[in-house]
Amino acid sequence: MSIAEEYTETPADSRLKRSLTYLWQRRRAYLLIAPVTLFLCSVIAYPIFETFRLSLYESPADSNIETYVGLQHYVEIFNSDIFYQLLSQTGRWVVVGVAGKALLGLLIAVHLNQDIRGRKFFRTAFLIPWGIPYAISAVVFRWIEHPQYGYLNAVLLELGIIDQGIGILGNPNIAWIGVVVADIWIGTPFMAIIFLAGLQSIPQELYEAAAIDGAEKWQQFRYITLPQLKPVILIATLLSTIWTFVSFDTIWTMTGGGPINTTSTLVIWIYQVGLKNGNLGEGAAYSVLGFVFLFVFAIIYLRIYTSGGEEL
Amino acid sequence: MPNDATDPFGEESIDRRQMMKGLGAGGIIALAGCIGGGGDGSDDSDIQFLTMGVGDNIEDFFEENNAQFEEEHDITLEFTSVTWDNAQQTVNNRVDGNEAPDVGRWPARWIPQLVGKEALEPIDDLMESEWGDRFYDGMAEGCMYQGSYYGAPWAASNKCLYYNKDVFEAAGLDPEDPQLDTWDDMLAAAQQIRDEAETPALGLAGADAIETGSQYYHYHWSYGADLIDDDSNPAVNSSEAVDALTFYTNLHLEHEVTQSSPLSSTRQDIRQMFETGELGMVIAHVYTSLNIDEAKENGEVDFDYGIVQVPAGPEGRYSLNTIDAISIFSQTEVRDLAEELLQFYFDEDRHFEYATNKGFMPTIEAVGERDHFQNSENWAPYIEAAQYARARPKLSNFNEFNNRMVQAIQEALADQKSPQEALDDAQSDLEDTME
Repeated sequence: MSIAEEYTETPADSRLKRSLTYLWQRRRAYLLIAPVTLFLCSVIAYPIFETFRLSLYESPADSNIETYVGLQHYVEIFNSDIFYQLLSQTGRWVVVGVAGKALLGLLIAVHLNQDIRGRKFFRTAFLIPWGIPYAISAVVFRWIEHPQYGYLNAVLLELGIIDQGIGILGNPNIAWIGVVVADIWIGTPFMAIIFLAGLQSIPQELYEAAAIDGAEKWQQFRYITLPQLKPVILIATLLSTIWTFVSFDTIWTMTGGGPINTTSTLVIWIYQVGLKNGNLGEGAAYSVLGFVFLFVFAIIYLRIYTSGGEEL
Repeated sequence: MPNDATDPFGEESIDRRQMMKGLGAGGIIALAGCIGGGGDGSDDSDIQFLTMGVGDNIEDFFEENNAQFEEEHDITLEFTSVTWDNAQQTVNNRVDGNEAPDVGRWPARWIPQLVGKEALEPIDDLMESEWGDRFYDGMAEGCMYQGSYYGAPWAASNKCLYYNKDVFEAAGLDPEDPQLDTWDDMLAAAQQIRDEAETPALGLAGADAIETGSQYYHYHWSYGADLIDDDSNPAVNSSEAVDALTFYTNLHLEHEVTQSSPLSSTRQDIRQMFETGELGMVIAHVYTSLNIDEAKENGEVDFDYGIVQVPAGPEGRYSLNTIDAISIFSQTEVRDLAEELLQFYFDEDRHFEYATNKGFMPTIEAVGERDHFQNSENWAPYIEAAQYARARPKLSNFNEFNNRMVQAIQEALADQKSPQEALDDAQSDLEDTME
């Protein structure tokens, strides 16, 4: 009897029975993945649970004693100004960063998809930022933007645009731009490569037919490339959003979250509060909130993604 | 539809023996992931010695002496150096994970935090013996907390004010008599440099919390302000503190005598600017002069510098004193051996070699009295500055305290808040934090 028959032959069978039958049929598959499931539970589920638990305790830096405080950390966080400042800055960091990486990545991918001379060289060259460790790229950008020794200021001074070095990373109003530019530079190659792979999977016949119908390049891009690339764009931006949200190295290396916390994001603050200041309980509460935001975002995003009947 | 006939998990796809092998292998991997990975070789060593920030200039010193200690005691010594960035977290992780080293060398200001965790062994017996009497009193006291010694002073550093003689000359100031006794003197010289020379007059650090604090507190204390009161409650917004922060921020905002963008500059940035001759004055450690002398010998820079005491404020003169301690951790099972390691490294000649190589103040009086320190133009001002030495307060949450204080300094430096508003807000937040 085939599985399909088992599922359809007896309408009177209970749902439970059908489920059990299904499980029994696949018992070996479940047995085989059991070790990995256990392993994942130990390295993923346990830390998440432990973080939830810790967020309900006061765990100061100078003591081994944990005191149960319930939801006190959450109440304090929601009543603090810094939390809303961090939310705003994290949102800005993610939106600008991901949009920048996606737009630049798409632009590069479209051009690399053309039949241009030196295409292999350019494809390799555009991958370089992705291959350099984030912290090293961040140090390079910190030096580029350095008010006394930086190339950026040197060029602006040489051109007579400024008469003394600008401290981008020291200016509370624009420091975040100095950091997000570095993040976009680092993250763009990933987007470009993913988009390029997507572009190469679009059948050329569509463009040929459109050309015969008189569609201009922009119309081809608008009505063929973008719709065909939609699944790739959605999954790439989802991944990039998650990575940008949890990004730590670039900000910490370039500014440490300063000046005056203006480049801090939720992740930077978690490190600052939990590990640097030693308030593990409060840091854990911030972590839980970050986890919840990301989780809700991912669900909404995937709902939108699959709303057209497409699946991952 | 070809896939309809295929059951990837059916009887034909894998036999029972294969499945058991797979399960076994998976289980082993899972178990390895859960319980493995801790092998750092530490079980093979008789004693573990953790330090931080061991650079090229001192690496050989430790390698040679550790080898000698191993040979003398016929043991294995595991020596680890971590970077300063990770140091505090490493120590805390090891303590919390019951993997503390036997001996550790670190900043004494971390002592309160670990005493709270009962992670350190008091070494009163040692420090109150003839052996402990060899240390400068003030430095030994820097390792004391709640009436007990939790470390021996391994190294110390304090600060003086450097000035570039060439820049002074270019500005029409007398490089041999720089007149830098008070903050107002320093400001007057800086204004003249600003008007007469092209080099920025004064280095001001504002980018990094610890370093910004360590630069600013000279001003704060010298105006008669404090960080905490006698009951260890925050006291950062007194009128004296506001005067100090007003003077500090005006150096940049009103008088424009600093390098551009202090909020972009770490202490290291301004030190490097001075060491390359691109700054008129800076408050810095003794190793700045050692670096310049080495660079001059190598033909990399060519300028003369002078060292004077950190200028005095209305209520006195202070030189920020930082002490590194060497401590024995409570988790040690080789307490006697740990004490012997301390005694080994505090041998006078060994201590002299360390201090001279690394550019730290000696902590043993007899070493400080040696000609090398007494007769050196570089060292003499720092030996003199010991009388103005002042350490940061010993607070278990000093990082948090300092971060908030530095936020206030940055807010004032960025002209976002007046010094009064910035310090009032800091006081309010610190009271909440420390209640």
